[in-house]
Amino acid sequence: MALKIEKTFTVQEPVEKVWALLSDPRKVATCVPGAQITDQVDEKTYKGAIKVKVGPSVTDYTGEVRILRLDPQNHEIEILGKGQDVRGRGSASMKMTGKLRALPDGGTEVASVSEINVVGILAQMGSRVITEVSNIMFGEFVKNFQARLQRPLDAPEGQATVAEAQPISATSLAWEATKGLFHRKS
Amino acid sequence: MIHKTSPEIGGMGHSIKRKEDLRFIQGKGNYVDDVHLPGMVYGQMVRSPYAHARLKSINTEKAKKLPGVLAVITGEDLAKANLAWMPTLSHDKQMVLATGKVLFQSQEVAFVVAEDRYTAADAAELVEVEYEELPVLVDPHKALEPGAPLLREDREQKDNHIFHWEVGDRQATEQVFQNAPVKASVKAFFPRCHPAPLETCGCVADFSRATGRLTVYMTSQAPHAHRTVFALVGGIPENNIRVISPDIGGGFGNKVPVYPGYVCSIVASLTLGVPVKWIETRSENLQSTGFARDYHMTAEIAADRDGKMQALRVKTLADHGAFNAAAQPTKFPAGLFSICTGSYDYPTAFCEVDGVYTNKAPGGIAYRCSFRVTEAAYLIERAVDVLALDLKMDPAELRRKNFIPPEKFPYKSSLGWTYDSGNYEPAMNIALEKIGYKDLRKEQEEKRKKGELMGIGISSFTEIVGAGPAHSFDILGIKMFDSCEIRIHPTGKAMARMGTKSQGQGHETTYAQIVAQELGIPAADVTIEEGDTDTAPYGLGTYASRSTPTSGAATAVAARKIRDKAKKIAAYLLECNENDLEWEPGKFYVKGSPSKSKTIQDIAFAAYTNIPPGLEAGLEAVDYYDPPNLTFPFGTYVCVVDIDKGTGEVKVRRFVAVDDCGNIINPMIVEGQIHGGLTEGLAIAFMQQIDYDESGNIQGGSFQDYLLPTAVETPHWETDKTCTPSPHHPFGAKGVGESPNVGSPAAFVNAVVDALSHLGVKHIDMPIAPWKVWNILKEKGVAA
Repeated sequence: MALKIEKTFTVQEPVEKVWALLSDPRKVATCVPGAQITDQVDEKTYKGAIKVKVGPSVTDYTGEVRILRLDPQNHEIEILGKGQDVRGRGSASMKMTGKLRALPDGGTEVASVSEINVVGILAQMGSRVITEVSNIMFGEFVKNFQARLQRPLDAPEGQATVAEAQPISATSLAWEATKGLFHRKS
Repeated sequence: MIHKTSPEIGGMGHSIKRKEDLRFIQGKGNYVDDVHLPGMVYGQMVRSPYAHARLKSINTEKAKKLPGVLAVITGEDLAKANLAWMPTLSHDKQMVLATGKVLFQSQEVAFVVAEDRYTAADAAELVEVEYEELPVLVDPHKALEPGAPLLREDREQKDNHIFHWEVGDRQATEQVFQNAPVKASVKAFFPRCHPAPLETCGCVADFSRATGRLTVYMTSQAPHAHRTVFALVGGIPENNIRVISPDIGGGFGNKVPVYPGYVCSIVASLTLGVPVKWIETRSENLQSTGFARDYHMTAEIAADRDGKMQALRVKTLADHGAFNAAAQPTKFPAGLFSICTGSYDYPTAFCEVDGVYTNKAPGGIAYRCSFRVTEAAYLIERAVDVLALDLKMDPAELRRKNFIPPEKFPYKSSLGWTYDSGNYEPAMNIALEKIGYKDLRKEQEEKRKKGELMGIGISSFTEIVGAGPAHSFDILGIKMFDSCEIRIHPTGKAMARMGTKSQGQGHETTYAQIVAQELGIPAADVTIEEGDTDTAPYGLGTYASRSTPTSGAATAVAARKIRDKAKKIAAYLLECNENDLEWEPGKFYVKGSPSKSKTIQDIAFAAYTNIPPGLEAGLEAVDYYDPPNLTFPFGTYVCVVDIDKGTGEVKVRRFVAVDDCGNIINPMIVEGQIHGGLTEGLAIAFMQQIDYDESGNIQGGSFQDYLLPTAVETPHWETDKTCTPSPHHPFGAKGVGESPNVGSPAAFVNAVVDALSHLGVKHIDMPIAPWKVWNILKEKGVAA
């Protein structure tokens, strides 16, 4: 099941500082709920894991994250993440393009386009659930991303991040998804 | 005409209450999941998340270490016993547990057995399967393209094509089309749907090491056939296998095939020597067991300018999923699809079907249907409406003009069937009158002026049921007869057993009514038993509306054999000649002196106490009935819909169903069958589809996405009937269970299209969900 999610948010930090964070998969990963980078394979390739829990279904994806394109001049990055569930419940891939734009007020606009493909048990829940899951994860990510910017970028990763390597909560997710469904109807 | 017995006897034509409901409404039914045997353990399937992937490894170590786990069976284990694959009813084979690769999402990969259900489910999560994803084919058209990924590497044929089948006169049909002044065509997809019976599939396999006997309690619509399959595939002597189908919570064709779960449970019980229970979850049922339809069809009609039909041409692509497991016993790969000329007198016709493999669950079962009759009836009834639209003719008039006239029966269709009897126009007239057709057309005209949307849909279907005569059917070579054995006890009560198996149809009542009709023993005094292969005579089971045409017929014939013997006993008791006796239900009397009589109860007692010299004791008979032909029920359904321009929602305002199933055994049960079938037809037309995304993920794999109609969605059904008995059936019955499911989808769709036809809409594919209608309204600029 393929879906495309476009998101734009702003942070009150200068573009170069945001770029420094966004262009480092090790650091970005700590902002993604349930995700972690476990190893670096080469300059552009990392090994990682992400745990996604939807209702009763927990999926533990392990796989690779690769930087496909890094354009410091235009502050653009393209990342491809691919993973398989450790218990063989399916696979997922995400191609994300991130682009930064300096705002007149000194802040930065982050625009992202993610193409997600999910195969397996999770995908049976249909796009209305997966889109909602992605929305919630993205919301968490933005919060973490902003929080991470508050700390020195060279500080060690660890406890300070909000939702490090914790699966997103099933109950809140179900609730958010339900709310989302009702919102969309109106 | 059928002689009507007294209400006390309760023979044919009496709406007696269903005997089986006494236990059902008290919650005292006995279903497979109610079977609890000492020492019983539980099985759980591990299933594939991928629609197409190579199996790289299966690691069962962690699962086996979980306390309470007794065994984990994989395809490799089964391969050692030559059981990794099993034959299907359509001359293909299918995997029991995957070896090499998986071919559809939810495919069975391993079977975990544990001391309780929860441990089994937990252990299934611990089985680690490594897959390598392969390109997925969900579109049957793409599956036929050159260079398409090969799905079935096990076959010699190296493409995804299963079969090509054609019937009729291609050349003559082409010729008519070349010269025909009017050609109408429709491309109609009958989506993949699922019967979703209330009870999912399951079994308890109980192999006794002490006796060497295997007893399988299972959700089976065909227990005898399944016993034979187990004997042939598993190599167990057939006398050592007992299949018991207890109460079944709905089948609709879903419980005809042999599923991997049954086989794995049997293997596990043979291995462990304890009873093994396996019960599907709802999602497992929807995702892996027999789906129905999935036919991509095109119909073209050649006609005169005045609407007289000249020829029909049908081309179909049949999506069979990963294995051709179509549960159908006909000798034709597309079953009875060649009934697609329907109720119309086509001098010429041609029909071709190609079967294709895709990465979807296998099946192609006859969901409340005789092997593709639903697809055929839907297609022709849609095509006739498109022709009416093209000709700007009233769809009722067009039908009337082309119906097979009553004097032409028995009618030989241009695609080879001999229709036993029919009289189509009266059924349509009653339906039109009842619904007030003329007034509705006027109303529609008025409403259109005001911009309101209403439509009237007609479906004048013809069915083909009662599988079936030996020339067209067999299962593993076994002819499609069915059976009945009747025993009359000394006190005049009776016990009868059949080779069929009720799944809610009310057999315990209707078969008793046939015995009552033929012998005059009150239906209340006749016990019916089915489903135990140790006791019932051999038969092929219940599906395709075949019980009344086959076992029902056998019941009448067996009863008549008993009556013949009873007559001999009566003559002996009354000291007269057999020829001097007259029969009325329940007794023989001497011609001219009705007071000199013996009741069937007197005779039954004498059969055990005072037997005429030279006659064997007892009063029983058995009959195996091989029907000389199929039966052809028919009817006309008319549906009125209103469409909400704001939401695209379709509301069924009225629905009139006029059915003709020949002579009726129990009018109440027939009406119930029609209500149920119409409700299923409504769901198919408006709500249901087992859809797949481009990666082969099932998008209708739970009741969250696969919708069932409730009382809220279901309109009021209005029923009526005509009666055209079958000339070859012993009491003129035809079978009715599937008619409403076969006939109604076209009525619903025709009504919706009719509501939108003035906007240029000619066809909408099912399911007609509100969003689909709303999109059309928006495109046509009429959405509110």
